[in-house]
Amino acid sequence: MPVFAVAGSGTREQVQDLRLDVHMQLVDTPRAATILLVAGAIPEELAEALARLHDSIPHPRCTVWWPLGAPSGAWLGSFPHHVAIEDQVPGRLTAIQRELLSGQRPSEPPILPDVDAAPWRGVGPFGQGGTGMTGGTPYGRPMAELGPDRDGLRLDVLPLTVGPFFPRFPAGLVLDAKLAGDILVEVAVRDNPFVTNSVRGNDRAGRGPFLRALTEPVSLAELELARARAHLRWVADALAACELAALGLRVLRLATAIMPGDSEPVESLARVLGWTQALGWSTRGVGRIEAAALEGLGAGPVARASGLPDDLRAQDQAYRDLGFEPIVQAEGDAAARWRQRLAEATQSLELAGRAGDRRTIPTGSIESPRGLLEPAGGPAARLLPLIPGLLEGMEWGDAVTTLVSLDLDLEEASAAAGQAHGEAVAS
Amino acid sequence: MNDLLADAIFWAFAAGSVTTGLRVFRTDSMMRAAFYLLASFAGVGGILVLLGAEFLGMVLILMMAGEMLIMAIVMVMFMMNPAGLNPMWMVHQHRVAVAAGAGSFVLLASLPFLVKFPDRPAPQPEEATAELGTELLGDSMLVFQTAGVALLSTMIGAVVIANRSGRFGVAEEGSQEPTVEPGAGDQR
Amino acid sequence: MSEYAAAGVAIAAVGAALLAGVYFVAVFDRLIGALVEGRPLQWSRLLAEPVQSSALMAVQQRRTTERPDAPAWALAPALFAGLAAVALAMVPLDRDLVATDPATGFVVFSAAIAMVMIAVYLHGWSPNSAFALHGAYRYGAQALSFQIPFLLAMLATVLPAESLSIVEIVNAQESLWNVVRQPAGLPLYLVVGVAVSFWGPLNLPDGSDLAGGTSVEDSGLSRLLWKAARAAMLVSVAAMGAAAFLGGWWGPWLAGPVWVVLKTVALLGVLLASGHLLARVRIEQFVLVSWVVLIPLALLNVFVSGAFLL
Repeated sequence: MPVFAVAGSGTREQVQDLRLDVHMQLVDTPRAATILLVAGAIPEELAEALARLHDSIPHPRCTVWWPLGAPSGAWLGSFPHHVAIEDQVPGRLTAIQRELLSGQRPSEPPILPDVDAAPWRGVGPFGQGGTGMTGGTPYGRPMAELGPDRDGLRLDVLPLTVGPFFPRFPAGLVLDAKLAGDILVEVAVRDNPFVTNSVRGNDRAGRGPFLRALTEPVSLAELELARARAHLRWVADALAACELAALGLRVLRLATAIMPGDSEPVESLARVLGWTQALGWSTRGVGRIEAAALEGLGAGPVARASGLPDDLRAQDQAYRDLGFEPIVQAEGDAAARWRQRLAEATQSLELAGRAGDRRTIPTGSIESPRGLLEPAGGPAARLLPLIPGLLEGMEWGDAVTTLVSLDLDLEEASAAAGQAHGEAVAS
Repeated sequence: MNDLLADAIFWAFAAGSVTTGLRVFRTDSMMRAAFYLLASFAGVGGILVLLGAEFLGMVLILMMAGEMLIMAIVMVMFMMNPAGLNPMWMVHQHRVAVAAGAGSFVLLASLPFLVKFPDRPAPQPEEATAELGTELLGDSMLVFQTAGVALLSTMIGAVVIANRSGRFGVAEEGSQEPTVEPGAGDQR
Repeated sequence: MSEYAAAGVAIAAVGAALLAGVYFVAVFDRLIGALVEGRPLQWSRLLAEPVQSSALMAVQQRRTTERPDAPAWALAPALFAGLAAVALAMVPLDRDLVATDPATGFVVFSAAIAMVMIAVYLHGWSPNSAFALHGAYRYGAQALSFQIPFLLAMLATVLPAESLSIVEIVNAQESLWNVVRQPAGLPLYLVVGVAVSFWGPLNLPDGSDLAGGTSVEDSGLSRLLWKAARAAMLVSVAAMGAAAFLGGWWGPWLAGPVWVVLKTVALLGVLLASGHLLARVRIEQFVLVSWVVLIPLALLNVFVSGAFLL
């Protein structure tokens, strides 16, 4: 059944795993959905955007909240209409859709009033806003502005806001873009509610080994297996962004099945991806970042793909005993970031196989799959300021490829902070 | 096909062409205007097919599809109207336009009354397309081919010159045609 | 009266073939997807799912946007499906078994392919929505680039037949199929065939980086019709490819129509598999490759084919 899923704080993996169920079809546009699935906690700043999303789903529709341990009393509890479910999500959603279609469950009315942004009647015989051919402000909607383009002409630019629930972007990322044709001429990233910590992360136990490793010793084998899985999960998402959804599901299944020490499946996956050109024509030369721009950002695989041997693990005695050496690529483009993550997944599985019962010593910071993770925040918050400069001048498709290749996890920061907050309360 | 049906189809195409042709000037959007014009041409193409000029009719539709799209895109590109989504007034210089329209209508409509058309029905050709080709190109194949190649190279040349990284350097760096004197072009 | 009855039967047959083709594409695509995914095959599910999801889309509400061009929005899928029907109607199942065989079949087919860009453009332009419009412009760039190599690849098959009729094009392949006679023809045709119906690696107008592109605002019945029209165009492109390059009804042992269907299915397999096995191309690369590689290659193909006939 078609579901539009919004992954809130700390629920990315659970929502991604829904794709493995044959009954679930996670769609890219609310127009194709019957069910709006909201997982975890959503910052209250996104309430209006979520309501707009809800209203653009065709009837019959239903909102389902999957709290996943989000703190009780979250504002979503007061979202006008919703069903809350805890587990057996595909089964419950199927039942809800059946009720909707048979008329047992009424379709949800809209939340926002259905009015036009401005009245559709302007000055002039066709409401064009003026007396000339185009002049004025037709229907109260501003005209595009002229801007220089790369061929030396002065053409229209189209202002466009993308987010916060654009399916290819992490939840909460909002871009204010200006497009001249297919080219992004101006990009601004809005303040992100996940990064500014208005939402507290979940207090669930077993939040993931990397967050735990900030404060307690965790076994290296567990960390490295989790790292390999996180990289493969990213590959699964990136494949879906290249129109290879079926192959993405294969990788997602592999991500849950890999075992420490057995890196052969990942290596054969890397060969397949070279052949499908996911590593080639769609990414080569796209989104190149110079090493200098990433210096000191702790950007993990993104930095290492640009040639910075920047890895906290290299300073850890337990890793040095295993003979760990950071892998680096030279190119720094999206293809290099693909290769980097596949190579690191292989390396992690191999390390996990040899780690034995070695454990980390908590130092307050850890090399997560996405980079340096501290209680103050994850790498995504530090990468966000790079985005405008990186995307300007790109075609839209390349911009999406680039953003996907950065693997931003905006709520990682808030999750870390939430954990620190939770402990402060407990102590 | 009997005459009645043929007549009905002709009048349907004719009425459609005239109506959509009128709509070109009565709509509020460049895109709609372009597509109404395309519909009008498609109707004319249909009439040509009905008259036995199958090749000409289909080629008309084939060419117009691409041309109207290019025309619409170029119009939108150079008008301050994002993608032709905002409404606009499609007619201007009313007096001149009305006079020109009425004048050309009278001129064209009077032709059937002024010209004496031959009154002997031609037989339906067996191979209309082949005969058309011979008629058009029979004696002048070389001329057509030469003109075609010349036009193609002109187009490629125009694209190269208009390109940002044009023949004489990148456009915004103030590219300059090299002079005949050696070394003089290096000043840019 | 029999003249009209025959026309009615032909129209109904084309419609039925197109419907069957759309269902077949839906099942075949899911089958290839399941194989790529490595999921165990559940045939009953595979066969029922297209029907179920179509039924769901048929009962869903048709949403509209703020000030769309409603007639154009409704027209686009109908025009697209109609063009697919025009193309399929000219594919002969056997020497005497064809819905229609105009003397200018090649030109009619080319005109249908050219009109596809109008259908896709209208579909993206009419909802008054940014991503849909973006998809429409992308298809404009894509279509203007593939038109010329597409027509040239098809034009080369006209030369040995010395006729523009599709039946004659197939007839001329009795001794030697065009896929052998013009080795560059079929690969060129398949590349642009994927581009025409914007499937898989060339799904730029409806791509996932635009959250669905021209169909981002479609819901309910309009989404169903657009999907069906795309699948129908894929069937028509494959069937025409089978006729123009794989010798249509010619083949040993089996009856002509069986060969046509088998060859169409084989080409559909190639087209659909490309959607699951090749990453999406960047529009800039596609335009560049079209103009710099495909057009010269297609011209060379025409020249070489012509030289062999002299």
